[in-house]
Amino acid sequence: MAAYLTHQQKVLRLYKKSLRHLESWCIFRDKYRFYACLLRQRFDDGVGEKDMVKATRLLKAGEEEFWTNQHPQPYIFPDSPGGTSYERYECYKAPEWLLDHWHPSEKSQYPDYFSKRETWKKLREQSWDREVAQLQAETPAGGPLSEALPPARQEGHLPPMWWQYVTRPRERPT
Amino acid sequence: MASRVLAQCVRTLARSSARLSGGNLAVRAVAAPVSASHRSFSVISNAERRRVLEQSRVSVVSVWCRQYGDLPPLTLETIRDRVMYVLKLYDKVNPEKLQTTSHFMKDLGLDSLDQVEIIMAMEDEFGE
Repeated sequence: MAAYLTHQQKVLRLYKKSLRHLESWCIFRDKYRFYACLLRQRFDDGVGEKDMVKATRLLKAGEEEFWTNQHPQPYIFPDSPGGTSYERYECYKAPEWLLDHWHPSEKSQYPDYFSKRETWKKLREQSWDREVAQLQAETPAGGPLSEALPPARQEGHLPPMWWQYVTRPRERPT
Repeated sequence: MASRVLAQCVRTLARSSARLSGGNLAVRAVAAPVSASHRSFSVISNAERRRVLEQSRVSVVSVWCRQYGDLPPLTLETIRDRVMYVLKLYDKVNPEKLQTTSHFMKDLGLDSLDQVEIIMAMEDEFGE
């Protein structure tokens, strides 16, 4: 239920977002590279800290410095959360079970895909029990810690929840 | 003037695509002495048109398929090439020791902060 971030994860997140905001401040590449190297040296100095109390104090100081020096409009990639194109095409992504409700005359316009889909459905029926068994065996008690799915463990098995991945809608509609 | 020449080229291409191979020999024989002689506007446009016709004969097929402004296609080879190119540019990585199966921490001796930098380089490369 509750997934806490480790100290290393917090430090790495701070490093990445500080580099991205630095990139928004120093638009010229050579200037950014110079200040990025200085920032990297500051992080490297605090890497060898063994005392967790001091390490969390350093992290807190770093976060506060980041907050005061952040860019008001940092460059966010269009497809990432907060970007301009984030989830823009979500409304056009129809669920894949709708394809089963098509009329046969519509289905005949795409014979290759629908024949492939029939073979995949048979494959899904065979492998579903194995996927469920693998997931039940590998999830820790108390619920999963993250959304990452494990890979297939044996030869000839398919990774769990492969159907949702294989039949996912396209990223950009044409 | 260049646009007029190109428009004439496209029109002549569309009309005589079947007899390009036969017609060009005679055209080439005409074009050589014409360009050497005195230059007037019409002579230059004729010679240029024929030269452009000869050059663009090779790319007749590509004229008919349009290339809109789009990213290069993502195939495994192109992705692998781009990833290796970006990794070789990183200064902490030895380019000779770099392979597709090399582990960042064990084989190349990189830090987790280096891992963050590499991830950021990949995001910059592939447009996130």
